[in-house]
Amino acid sequence: MKSRSKLTVLVAGTVSLMAVHAAIAQDAATQESVIDKITPVTDEMLLDPPDADWLMWRRTYNGWGYSPLDQINKENVGKLKLAWSWGMSPGGRTQETPLVHDGVMFVQNADHRIQALDAATGDLIWEYQHELPDGVSPGGERSKAIYGNNLIIATRDAHIIALDIKTGELVWDQQVADYKKGFAYSSGPLVANGVIVQGMTSCSNAQPGGCFFTGHDAETGEEIWRVNTIARGDTPEGNSWNGIPVENRYGASAWITGSYDPEQNLIFAGVGQPYPWNVEIAGLTPKSSDPNVTNEALYTNSTLAIDATTGELKWYHQYLPTDSLDLDYVYERLIVDDEVVTTGKIGIMEAIDRTTGKWLWAKETAPQNVVLSIDKETGAKEINPDVIPVIGETTFNCPADPGSKAWQATSYSPKTGAVYLPTVEFCSNTTVNPLDPGQIYTGGGLQTYSRVPRPDGDGNIGQVRAYKLDDQSEMWQYRQYAPVTTSTLPTAGGVVFVGTLDRKLIAFDDETGDVLWTSPKLSNSLESFPISYEADGKQYIAVVANFGNGLGRLQSLTPDIKLPPNNPVTLYVFALPDDEE
Amino acid sequence: MRVAFDISRLASMFLALALAIPIAVSTVGNAAAQEPEFDDVPFANGQWNIGRRLDESQFRYCVDKRDPDWEVAAAIGDAIAAALLLEPQRYVVEREIAVEDITKIYAIMLEHCDVHMGFKLIPEGYARWITLTRAYYETQYVFVASDPALQKLADLPPGHSIGATVGTMAHIRLVSYQSALPAEKRWPVFPMGSNEQALDALLKGSVDVALVWAPNLWAKQREDAAYGELHVLEPSPLPPSTIGVGAVVLADQKFLRSAVDEAISALTADGTLDGILKGFDFPATAAAP
Repeated sequence: MKSRSKLTVLVAGTVSLMAVHAAIAQDAATQESVIDKITPVTDEMLLDPPDADWLMWRRTYNGWGYSPLDQINKENVGKLKLAWSWGMSPGGRTQETPLVHDGVMFVQNADHRIQALDAATGDLIWEYQHELPDGVSPGGERSKAIYGNNLIIATRDAHIIALDIKTGELVWDQQVADYKKGFAYSSGPLVANGVIVQGMTSCSNAQPGGCFFTGHDAETGEEIWRVNTIARGDTPEGNSWNGIPVENRYGASAWITGSYDPEQNLIFAGVGQPYPWNVEIAGLTPKSSDPNVTNEALYTNSTLAIDATTGELKWYHQYLPTDSLDLDYVYERLIVDDEVVTTGKIGIMEAIDRTTGKWLWAKETAPQNVVLSIDKETGAKEINPDVIPVIGETTFNCPADPGSKAWQATSYSPKTGAVYLPTVEFCSNTTVNPLDPGQIYTGGGLQTYSRVPRPDGDGNIGQVRAYKLDDQSEMWQYRQYAPVTTSTLPTAGGVVFVGTLDRKLIAFDDETGDVLWTSPKLSNSLESFPISYEADGKQYIAVVANFGNGLGRLQSLTPDIKLPPNNPVTLYVFALPDDEE
Repeated sequence: MRVAFDISRLASMFLALALAIPIAVSTVGNAAAQEPEFDDVPFANGQWNIGRRLDESQFRYCVDKRDPDWEVAAAIGDAIAAALLLEPQRYVVEREIAVEDITKIYAIMLEHCDVHMGFKLIPEGYARWITLTRAYYETQYVFVASDPALQKLADLPPGHSIGATVGTMAHIRLVSYQSALPAEKRWPVFPMGSNEQALDALLKGSVDVALVWAPNLWAKQREDAAYGELHVLEPSPLPPSTIGVGAVVLADQKFLRSAVDEAISALTADGTLDGILKGFDFPATAAAP
């Protein structure tokens, strides 16, 4: 890579925060023309993104994760070749979703080095280093946002920052919470109707009162509203914590970016489970005898419908009350017609009405033993009492804590009318343990999950499942030994891409599930969000190879799948050979 | 491998969910040994650039200022060094983050110390990449009250609240005990994110009793007279929750661990550790040899 002398260094921040920006111009003819041509991202673009771009976490507000590009299709996908690759900072956890706009790709490394790359060549345009304070572990963010001339980034030390998309220079920096108290971001924002909407995580045992969503002014980053994800006050919702004071309620982490319904100006976002996981330890059981008190622990494991402009909580729907198994219902929200569809860790896909929050239907995907039945009218679940962890006993539950459906997002293809779920099948022997080994160094949960294969399984831990959304019938199912570890990526070319723990990116026929192409073994497992984009008239498929903290934890079930030490992270970009376009 | 959808096959494979239809579940035997979590795999940023020490004449140990007993642990660390005829080299961790994942000590130990003081000897409580020394003292979780009328836990009337530092073995024991009582005889137990929060709640009167780590009460009473009004209750009807505290070393440091264990045994036997604990008026006893 050729380097030129232009180097700009900007040092900003407080004692605990130093940010260094280095703008590196190289390969002048190409680089400068790409970055010079980049345009501001408007509200209109976010409402209807250009086909070539991937402007937000799931590409569109409805959360589909679908690419309308069709240059790569069922007939030619078998000829995909590596176009370019880019080494990212090793170590740390990262579950990256690159963004692409006007031929420029933006990535965030685990060490918070944010980079702009020429999306056609992989050459570095600029980079910005957000210095994490001592003691804050490096880790990536699942998503980021572009709005106007700014790239908007959430950080592991609970800042939201805006960088100029042309130069990488810091535009503003807002510290939303105190990282010393444990607050952190692990996913980035969504910009809706001009408001930056961001969910807070890592506010578990150390932080009474739980997490929150915040709305921020896009021009300054200033906070304009906040929605607490733990219900408060003398209301049915506020009294749903078994009589525990607000300062003793924990969890309800908002760790996944939501979706946006422009017609209603509503954000649909998920909330995680209560902490600690064990409901006895959390104080949620035994149930209080006070008739005015319940123990559902709202708004855990719920969809919240939040007005993007005011932060008003319009309605909510809770999928799993009084969760004791770390079974989040926090993941992607797909908006399809009048439904908001999500799948929690149990692997049960569920739909609610997008205007009222009324529960509509459920479909079990991966086998599980947590839910015995679901009420057809309300969606209320009968929980298997045998799986609820009890002090002094070991219980058996399927799935275990990473979930049969984890943060790897389900996608929807309007071409097929189908959703594509990445799932895994496994179980856990679960015991309640004290986890307070040191005064400071302690665990977030209080249960030990000893993960085991499904006792009557076929040995295939990983699956991709395709369901017709209109009647929830299964179109096809792909099964393999290694866990499936990325989100699915359906395209208008009739291809669905997914990555696996055993270092492969696989392309399926979206209608039949036939395997059309498999990449060579890449540098590491793939735990990220693959995207597709177009640059200089050519369609690309991009995916980051890395070992993250999601389904990679199932590596203990597949010890024969060897991964490299020190967790290398590499961005791979595939395309058709020039003569095949 | 592609599998066509077949609900009957799926149901026979395992447990299928039918709406509103109860389904039997099966269980298997008890847990195998704990599997390592990804979080348990240590990683230090830039670990491949961190060199190994050459000076074998020093006993390099870490203490953490966030631990209430860090000064006591430092004195014990010096005593261990002396017993091993090594020069003590103390590194004091000075961070302000409230709670950290235990993998963070990997980076600290790579850079600064071979022995990190201040870890409870909890069976199955640690990942395989670290190992514990024998305990250099034993102490307790204690029930604390401000009301002089309360002398033992049994004096606390049902319905009065306990603020328990969340997730400790004492908290689990209390919850387990309560689950066997009828509802009208239980105390509400509120989980507290830290010992400090539990003690503050007690001072504010938002709970009637706090269940905390004794060294934290000791540290608070040293620094703030307001905590001096608090007193420790007899735990009955519960038994005392006593646990040893030792140090951690990296699992591959077997020789070092044996040497430290021998030093702790010798310092216990000759009364050195008891002397240190008494010197600080610290609520602990040297662990039995």
